[in-house]
Amino acid sequence: MRKATFPGGVHPPADKWTADAAIETPPLPPRLVVPMAQNLGAPSKPIVAKGDKVKRGQTIGKPDGFVSAYLHAPTSGTVAGIEKVVDAATGRQADAVAIEADSEDAWADGTNQPRDWRALKPDEIRQAVAEAGIVGMGGATFPTHVKLTPPPGKTIDTLIINGAECEPYLTCDYRLMLERPADIVAGLAICLAATGAKRGLVAIEDNKPEAVRTLQEALRGADGAAVQVLETKYPQGAEKQLILACLGREVPSGGLPSDVGVIVQNVGTAAAIAEALAQRRPMTERILTVSGDAAARPGNFCCRIGTPIQALFEKAGVAADFEELIFGGPMMGKDQFTADLYVKKGTSGILVFRRAAAYDNGPCIRCGACVRHCPSYLNPSRLSILGESFLDGNLAAVDDAMNIGLMDCILCGTCAYVCPARRRMVHLIEMLRGERRKALERKREKQREQQAHLKREVEKVKP
Amino acid sequence: MSAQATTAAKPEPAAPMLIVGHWPHLRGKDSTARIMWSVVACLVPVVLASGWFFGIRAYLHVGLAVSTAVLVEALIQRLRKVPVTAADGSAVVTGILVAFCLPAQAGWYVPMVASFIAIAIAKQCFGGLGCNIWNPALIGRAFVQVAYPTDLNPSSYPVLTGGHVTANVGTVGNALPAGVQAVTSASPLAQMKAAAQAAQAAGADAQAAIAQAIQNAQDQIHANLTGGLPNLGDMLLGSRGGNIGETCALLLILGAVYLIARGWVRWQIPVAYLGTFIIGVLALPIHIVAEATQGTTLTASQDQYLWVASWAPDLAWKYVAYHLLSGGLILGSLYMATDMVTSPLTNRGMLIFGAGCGVLTILIRLYGGYPEAVCYSILLMNTTVALIDRYTQPRIFGHQK
Repeated sequence: MRKATFPGGVHPPADKWTADAAIETPPLPPRLVVPMAQNLGAPSKPIVAKGDKVKRGQTIGKPDGFVSAYLHAPTSGTVAGIEKVVDAATGRQADAVAIEADSEDAWADGTNQPRDWRALKPDEIRQAVAEAGIVGMGGATFPTHVKLTPPPGKTIDTLIINGAECEPYLTCDYRLMLERPADIVAGLAICLAATGAKRGLVAIEDNKPEAVRTLQEALRGADGAAVQVLETKYPQGAEKQLILACLGREVPSGGLPSDVGVIVQNVGTAAAIAEALAQRRPMTERILTVSGDAAARPGNFCCRIGTPIQALFEKAGVAADFEELIFGGPMMGKDQFTADLYVKKGTSGILVFRRAAAYDNGPCIRCGACVRHCPSYLNPSRLSILGESFLDGNLAAVDDAMNIGLMDCILCGTCAYVCPARRRMVHLIEMLRGERRKALERKREKQREQQAHLKREVEKVKP
Repeated sequence: MSAQATTAAKPEPAAPMLIVGHWPHLRGKDSTARIMWSVVACLVPVVLASGWFFGIRAYLHVGLAVSTAVLVEALIQRLRKVPVTAADGSAVVTGILVAFCLPAQAGWYVPMVASFIAIAIAKQCFGGLGCNIWNPALIGRAFVQVAYPTDLNPSSYPVLTGGHVTANVGTVGNALPAGVQAVTSASPLAQMKAAAQAAQAAGADAQAAIAQAIQNAQDQIHANLTGGLPNLGDMLLGSRGGNIGETCALLLILGAVYLIARGWVRWQIPVAYLGTFIIGVLALPIHIVAEATQGTTLTASQDQYLWVASWAPDLAWKYVAYHLLSGGLILGSLYMATDMVTSPLTNRGMLIFGAGCGVLTILIRLYGGYPEAVCYSILLMNTTVALIDRYTQPRIFGHQK
């Protein structure tokens, strides 16, 4: 079989220590804290108050806008209040619903019942996906119903289920593929029905032959669906790189996969869609990997959204003397400054390391490794130098960076990984992007002011 | 203190001190120091060989150049109040390369001055590692070339006379009486050039003298290629006149092969450089100027262009081989043109850069007034790197070309 791949990229050590660890379900914690900001876009709005009784799967948050998501109680119990907790994605304080579990773990009425999803129309499927609060589980947490709604005029011909899991350490997708292939296949079928796509691919890197076999077995007889084996390379699972690898199609700059007739869903998302449609179970739990050299018993855990990570640390034997805590994988995961955190829908992994990585920043020696490995064909060296130039007071550096593709960077960190000078490439690039956003906001603010001023002037001269 | 520790640990375990950095949290194994010290390791055998061929003065040059480079780097970094990174090996590489392009008999002050200029002017004045436009070692060399012309005069290069004894066997034909052929016996590069230019003849019949002079020049080139020059084995191993680090082509090539295999030297530059150079050697003629003189008065002159490949096809490969192995071409194309800082970022840019170096080198060698062309070719091409980078950027993902 042809091993699909993309140009550029790197081969970091896989360190998938937990590949053989079956998914475990830790005991239900007595208290769960569900942050409202679970998805890309607007955070959900809480619709419960202190003292309310809730059941598992009951809606506790409503979407605030189109790119937003429903949020459900992860177990039954009493709402202890709306609290401010640190959001692992932004590091800022954000609202969260705290629930004291009653240990009955009872499902809400109308949930946890079988449903024949084949009778549903595409719109009804999308509605059901939205109401189940499903967001992209690869880590980006984009609301799935939005993804399943292609812009008008765009036809989707291919659906790719992303089982690449190219991040080192993480194995939750791998275990899911081994243990629940039927859910993934069902999720694929539902997505095909919702989008009208004719072809479905499950893309898996060739370092997971067991998963390839399992899915090939599960897909036997499925119409238009197949496993696509990928070369093991980072960032093979990045959406645009995955589409290029599987289909040879390049998503245009600033565009979406639907521009080339494709939708990509993570395997975890596909399984969640299957549960939501076939079992009427909203998203209340997820599988994640706890690993790193500070975890004595690293493993894969299926835990409720809102589980305090301390509960997982006990299960995984994490000693208190770790120096670095990462939410996500080591390549694109986010460092946390506190361990007072809770599992969210996008938490694919929690990594703990005794010794933090060195975050130094040497001068660029122009070796060109970043240019050769960049999967977006950018010049990261130049972008990072422009970042430093901006910090030195050269405000025009943002515009210069825009001219060489600042917005086309996918922030995958390949450049920083290969950099012998250990430059903080992604940091500088992200900083420039932030400055770009700020500059745009300033510009809009100025336009608004001008318009308001104009309006006042017009009012004045009106008789 | 122990009591404090126990009381602090008991009620609430102290929150771990978490270190936060931007992703990626994984880094590859390469580091600047690792690359630089690997280059040093690849050059050490050449240093040892230079002592074998040119005596203890070679070690003296390397030692003085390296220690000056490291000290100047550290000193300037202290003055600039920036972290002192003299231990990252980059100054050591510069020091070794500076020494490598000096002849053994140059004064002891020459490597020190060259190293100082290389580090202080060519590197630190531009902002230190990664910021310089020109290869520091070559700037150092170019400076001492004009500052101490007698120390670096290629016509006084030592040539090997048995074992590893060095001796001066230089004769230059500037002041010779008319009618006598003057041939230099210097480094092979200077030899070929001299043969092409120095044939002189005098007499009543200027045309006959000119024809004779051209014939003499051609004979001399033929003689050089068939035995007048050190044999090619010696050229490859390093038993020939020249600067201390540029004669042992074999060890230079072996080191570069390792660096290319590790990806720290990109093959694009030497391949484009040497490839273009070979094409130039075969495609461009030797320019012979024959002059007839009466006393000191020029009575007639004639230009003759000699394409070696068609004039003596059986000797063409030797002609190419001597060109490749003489002068600083091997050292320059493998270790100086490939300097990461002063060469382009993109593969396509590297090919263009290497080809430019090759064209300039052969043009200067064949038609310039100075036989050693590698230094200035690379420095000239260094100047164009920013431009090359700008026009060889790959198409960005998702953009139309």
